[in-house]
Amino acid sequence: MTQIRGRVWKFGDNISADNGIIQYSQVPDLDTFDIPKLKAMCFAELQPKFRAEVRPGDVVVAGRNFGHHSHQHACVAMKECGVAACIVESTDSAFIRKALNIGLPIIVCPGVTKLVDQGTELAADLSTGEVRNVATGATLRARPFSERMIDIWRAGSFSRAMRQKLTSHG
Amino acid sequence: MGQTTAQKIIARAAGRDAVEAGEYVTVSPDYTCCQELAWQTRKRMMKEIGTNRVARPDKVIMVVDHTTSAAMGSAYHLNHREMKEFAASNGVDNFFGAGSGLRHLVLTEKGFARPGLLVFSDEPNIASIGALGALNIAVSSEVVATQIADENWMLVPKSARISLQGRLGPGVMMRDVAQILIRDYATTDTLSQSCIEFVGPAIADLSLDERQSLLACAYHTGADTALMPVDEAALAYVQDRAQGRPYHLLESDPDAIFAHEASYDLAEVSPMVTVPPELFAAVKVEEVAGIPIHQAALGSCANNRIEDMRAAAAILRHYRVNRGVTMYITPGSREVYAQAAAEGLLNAFMEAGATVLAPGCTTCWGYEGVLSDGEVQISTHQMNYHGRNGSRSARSFLASPYVVAASAVTGKIADPRPLLPHVPEKWIPVFRTGHAPGEESDTAGSPA
Repeated sequence: MTQIRGRVWKFGDNISADNGIIQYSQVPDLDTFDIPKLKAMCFAELQPKFRAEVRPGDVVVAGRNFGHHSHQHACVAMKECGVAACIVESTDSAFIRKALNIGLPIIVCPGVTKLVDQGTELAADLSTGEVRNVATGATLRARPFSERMIDIWRAGSFSRAMRQKLTSHG
Repeated sequence: MGQTTAQKIIARAAGRDAVEAGEYVTVSPDYTCCQELAWQTRKRMMKEIGTNRVARPDKVIMVVDHTTSAAMGSAYHLNHREMKEFAASNGVDNFFGAGSGLRHLVLTEKGFARPGLLVFSDEPNIASIGALGALNIAVSSEVVATQIADENWMLVPKSARISLQGRLGPGVMMRDVAQILIRDYATTDTLSQSCIEFVGPAIADLSLDERQSLLACAYHTGADTALMPVDEAALAYVQDRAQGRPYHLLESDPDAIFAHEASYDLAEVSPMVTVPPELFAAVKVEEVAGIPIHQAALGSCANNRIEDMRAAAAILRHYRVNRGVTMYITPGSREVYAQAAAEGLLNAFMEAGATVLAPGCTTCWGYEGVLSDGEVQISTHQMNYHGRNGSRSARSFLASPYVVAASAVTGKIADPRPLLPHVPEKWIPVFRTGHAPGEESDTAGSPA
């Protein structure tokens, strides 16, 4: 089971992680994850309804350069708000890593902002890369996650996946 | 099919003959490099993983660079101590404590950054090591996982090729070129998940410091990482410091695929200023000249090398820091600090009324030199978003060492070009391989 299905929250291009998804300047430091504060900040300046109306399993869809210039706090904020995945026109590889490390998949899928609207039901499959508008059936094909990445997503974090791997290899 | 330099480096680390752009591969990096800020997060990860033993202590490089001293009220003293103890208990010889300098400079100066090597670090701006042909891949706190397992996954980036022609004019530095590239690319996704290979005749003419300055900013264009060709100057530097450790001279095949190609003429570049809070908002200095400033800061991985010190000193030897301005100067490493002292630059900074801080990231991320409400700073830092250096209502303009020094002495954002003709020529660096100020230099050359 590598499928994610959820309601779309749609954002534009060039959403910065540190000055958009959250306000990193209000984070005490790199090592401190104040979960209630991160959740309260999440997309607060871009979409005031987000915090009150986001539901576990919802999906973030965004445009080009999503989450560039990032600290991991932006990923933690989205994950803790219940975001199941981000599907974006483009981002950088470091942001994909930071998110996957805490079990949040970011799928690069050119065209996704034309495929769905705010509130659309979207389905994505990490192993095939298929991204689908559930209502219209229109699909796009993104780069599939590798097995290694799917293991991390399943385990919920890089650390847990690694522990399972070390344990299973004795 | 032909391979790019980046693909060859990754293929080597993956134990493969070739890799494809866009492919996920498992690699064993030649080094991992990390700093101290996220140490408690890494400790938590090690606890979750169930081990705190590293597989290859010889591949681990740990540097305390963000906090050059543990200030009263900050918790970082614990990170300093625990990282030092962790290194000792794991047999990690390459621990560099507070004041050693930035990872970027430690990697080059201590001979870790060598051609053809793959480095996993906790920062994308460490792409500066691409000046010596080493490939930086930015990871997160999971750098610790790579240290435990001696391997990790990565995406093979696309390659883009940007050709540099011509020669920089007076008062212009590669920092200005970097700000133009960020302006041109950061709002597109042209370079997304790419490695930029900088090529062209201008590079051979550029000093290694100026090459690193550009590469340290490459991530802000949207690229994952960047590289430059390893020429005689780069190789001589590496051989001087490699202590016999291996390297691999690799270059892109003639039929390698580049997803994007562009060309820039350095002779057309003029001093730039990036206006807060966006990194892509670079304008010519003339457009913002005259804005009063409260603080000027020279430092960060983009501009903390000896030539950056020389550029600022050229102006600060001749003019004093304006009464209303606080100026901080942070050399990037002990080596840069000592060299600046030997050349009399530190004296010049002191006499001009600037404050020299210990080598580290310091002011760039607001650990020192904090701004209060409404204050204006111009700096050579990497970021300019609201609150990066203190108050969210403070504004941080970004520019080259020349522009920062010119602004510091005039008390407002200023073009360095009208000041430089008044500075004795022997103090003005030429930013070319093998030249220091005062040495005889060929300044009459034309673009190759």
